[in-house]
Amino acid sequence: MLTCDDYLTPVTLGEAFDAMENHRGVYRLVAGATDILPWAREGRAGDVHIPVLIDIAGIPELNVREVAGGNVRLGAATRFQRFLDDKTLAAALPLMPFCAVWFADDQIRESATIGGNLVNASPAADGTPALLAHDARVVLSSRKAGKIVQRTMPLSEFATGPSNTMLAADEILVEVQCPALPKHGGAFEKVGHRRSLVISTVCVAALVEIDATGERFADVKLAVAGIGPVPRRMTAIEEALKTKALSSAILEDAADSAGDLVASRTRQDYRREVVRGFVLRALINAALRAGASTKLISREFEAKYA
Amino acid sequence: MPDLKIEATVNGRKVSKNVAPFARLLDFVRDDLNLTGTKEGCGAGECGTCSVFVDGVLVKSCLVPAAKAKGAKIETVEGLARSGELSVLQKAFHKTGASQCGYCIPGMVMAATAAIRSNPLVSDDEIKERLGGNICRCTGYSKIFEAVELARDVMNGARPATALQEEEVDEGQFIGANVRRLDAPSKVSGALRYAGDTVMPGMLHVAVLRSPHPHARIVSIDTSAAEALPGVEAVVTSADVPGVDGFGVFVHDQPVMAKGKVRYVGEAVAAVAAEDELTAKRAAALIKVVFEALPAIFDPDEAMKAGAPIVHDYAPDNVTKHIPIRKGDVEKALAECDLVIENTYETQQVEHAYLEPEAGLAWVDHDGVVTVLSPSQNITNHRHMLSRIIAKPINKVRFIMSPVGGGFGGKEDMIYQGMLALLAMKTGKPVRLVFTREESIATTAKRHPARIHYRSGFMRDGRLKAIALRMVSDGGAYGLSTEGVMRKAAILGAGPYDIQNLQVDTIGVYTNNTPSGAFRSFGALQTQFATETQMDIAAEKLGLDPFEIRRINMMRNGAITHTKQKLGSVSIGRVLDQLEKAAQWEKGAPAQRGDSRGDLGTDGARRACALDARFVEAPTKTMKSEVA
Ligand SMILES: Cc1cc2nc3c(=O)[nH]c(=O)nc-3n(C[C@H](O)[C@H](O)[C@H](O)COP(=O)(O)OP(=O)(O)OC[C@H]3O[C@@H](n4cnc5c(N)ncnc54)[C@H](O)[C@@H]3O)c2cc1C
Ligand code: FES
Ligand code: FES
Repeated sequence: MLTCDDYLTPVTLGEAFDAMENHRGVYRLVAGATDILPWAREGRAGDVHIPVLIDIAGIPELNVREVAGGNVRLGAATRFQRFLDDKTLAAALPLMPFCAVWFADDQIRESATIGGNLVNASPAADGTPALLAHDARVVLSSRKAGKIVQRTMPLSEFATGPSNTMLAADEILVEVQCPALPKHGGAFEKVGHRRSLVISTVCVAALVEIDATGERFADVKLAVAGIGPVPRRMTAIEEALKTKALSSAILEDAADSAGDLVASRTRQDYRREVVRGFVLRALINAALRAGASTKLISREFEAKYA
Repeated sequence: MPDLKIEATVNGRKVSKNVAPFARLLDFVRDDLNLTGTKEGCGAGECGTCSVFVDGVLVKSCLVPAAKAKGAKIETVEGLARSGELSVLQKAFHKTGASQCGYCIPGMVMAATAAIRSNPLVSDDEIKERLGGNICRCTGYSKIFEAVELARDVMNGARPATALQEEEVDEGQFIGANVRRLDAPSKVSGALRYAGDTVMPGMLHVAVLRSPHPHARIVSIDTSAAEALPGVEAVVTSADVPGVDGFGVFVHDQPVMAKGKVRYVGEAVAAVAAEDELTAKRAAALIKVVFEALPAIFDPDEAMKAGAPIVHDYAPDNVTKHIPIRKGDVEKALAECDLVIENTYETQQVEHAYLEPEAGLAWVDHDGVVTVLSPSQNITNHRHMLSRIIAKPINKVRFIMSPVGGGFGGKEDMIYQGMLALLAMKTGKPVRLVFTREESIATTAKRHPARIHYRSGFMRDGRLKAIALRMVSDGGAYGLSTEGVMRKAAILGAGPYDIQNLQVDTIGVYTNNTPSGAFRSFGALQTQFATETQMDIAAEKLGLDPFEIRRINMMRNGAITHTKQKLGSVSIGRVLDQLEKAAQWEKGAPAQRGDSRGDLGTDGARRACALDARFVEAPTKTMKSEVA
């Protein structure tokens, strides 16, 4: 059970920094609370008392949602459900709806935020690999000598290990920024212990752009989670596929090499097989959604993997 | 502790309450507003019994800090039928029989309401997706989906409103008739109160201190710091038991709270009654217990070996119950068989996971009658046991069975009612205990895990001549229903087959694991899993169709069971016929099927697991054809 002496709900970034300064060392930030509440239960952290909880989900800067000039700005308190019901967002970030539909359930997605997912830094988080594939950058904000300052870094540098990130004690993750990729097709493949409401055992996120011929990869972005301490991109496979013609053989080659990335502590053989299958399936699905010619992939091949 | 002031509109009415700063929206709705249609099945976002609308958006209120509800419009299940008339959806749940124990149902109704509100033409597949965060352990979901589809159609005019009415049934006809459940309206509206929803004036809250050890001697228990905590009214331990301390369905080997030693992790050691839950919990943490660890035993086969740690002094071999059955001459018959299949099977512990965690209230009434209200599946037995435990005549002990929010055998054991009675007697006030989901999983009985050594002998034509099976089952730390489970496993284990030579041994064994108890099928599942697997292997080895080999061996009308019961009618033949049809079984031995399967992708076959109902353009051709 999570207890506190005070629960603060600042409505501006300034108020949030006031609260953080007033309660230095004894507070914890809360956004959707979907990680922090289940964490403070028996079997995990148990009963936890945090003197001050500072709820930042209502701050306007954390609720920005904007697609403009080829860029997407997402406030850190953006709920995962928005990727399913905001058509503009779905068009600019074609992988996110597929990630969202596998994420928890409709109800939790109305609370769970992207910022919470990134800061929680679970090795098996779903949002992280999806945003990694989208080349996301994170904007971190703090107040130094009364002035609000920001720094930005690629998401790939943000998580440093399970539950660890580059976020400093006085910082708030304010925003996530991605390039809009309206021509890409997206796919998200996930397996956990059941279909709804589970953390991934393994998940793979893919974005594919097909060139004008409809037969060649113009761009490939692939990320995976659940196979090591932090979600990661699969850059070698991305490079190997770019500009190549789509074929069963090239996809199989790419997938065969994916298993080597598995560095998890448990169930390595299982994960190796799953990653292989998921890379194939994600690439096929993303390519087809990007408009790849359906002639390139045999029906049996598609039926087997997609 | 500064209280948090919450002003909100709940089901159309303005409310204003001061709550603890860490209160969840669920606590606010249930405890402060007494709207108990919203349930707490897990407290961790997993089950969906706590769903409420906040500003029109459905959320799981166990994961929402109450502070987030400041100024919000909240709608609970009670709000759906505010006019006094059930909503179309609630009527549809009533019509299709979509509520059994009912504990999941308010949440289901809320999730279904959200699904239809967000998409009035929601497809059947999307309904399933949108209800994906709500668990039901009773219905198997079909009736629930049927209800939502019916409501959607009625609301769209695709089906007439009369479709919600009760079907006409001939007077007195029940079998084969669609009879509506009398208790459904109370369940779909959230009005029905389970034990954990029940409040009494002056009620105290109970927390239990549990053993962290699988096997340890209790050297001392010091409750003084707990008793000194302001707000605490009483602490009880086994020393407070006035009568003969012991309960169980067959042997009364379990004390109300650990006595002298603990035998499993999670066993109750002491219980506290205090004016609120948090104080009770904090007090329980202040109880100082000195344990002296004892060697523990976790494997039932090891537990039967000489020199193994002894769990109960009365059973030095750790055997709770051994049930043998002997018929014919098994060894001789096996020697004559064309095929003998020998295997060892293991099945695992299983949690019942009823949606309602254990909960109970106890009080002493004006006549001195000690009264316990709980979802007990065995109240008469509990009443007799409690009367001995608290040394009161039976007319001074009363058990009230509250609605059971799912039991499946898991609520047959009197594991907490005794503590409640003692606390009610000691404080003179009503006391209530509500288990957390974690507590429920860690401390209550599970399905018996089993290790089954199996030999079966067949003739070339598929005739089953002999079975020798030995099941060793982990009964855990206490007897509970182990004896009955061993009996059923033995009686039904060899399956509905006509066998002349049979040797069955089922052995329940004490260990320091979580106790095993009753669970749907009561032991038959474990042995029959092995029996049916042996049949399939035999079919493959003998080149026979798996249905045929069963027909060759099945009991027929008038058969005598292995325990000498004459069966008037035997239905396995009809069951096999139905099964074969429903499975779209392709005739032949399993090994002859080849790698293409004609029973997949056909009408009526289930499609692969996917989550694509919401993407208007189905992602790939294959998926499109599957959706159709
Ligand atoms: C039943 C259930 C199912 C789930 N399923 C999934 C799933 O399928 N996939 C998945 O990936 N996750 C899943 N989760 C986990 C969780 O919902 C997500 O990780 C979610 O995105 C966390 O966001 P939040 O806003 O709720 O985090 P919170 O609990 O509010 O916060 C989590 C952590 O991040 C910090 N934090 C939050 N926001 C910020 C910020 N802006 N700046 C700095 N620090 C911040 C908090 O201090 C806290 O330490 C599930 C959880 C539950 C309970
Ligand atoms: S989901 Fe909230 S109680 Fe289970
Ligand atoms: S009716 Fe759904 S859990 Fe019992």
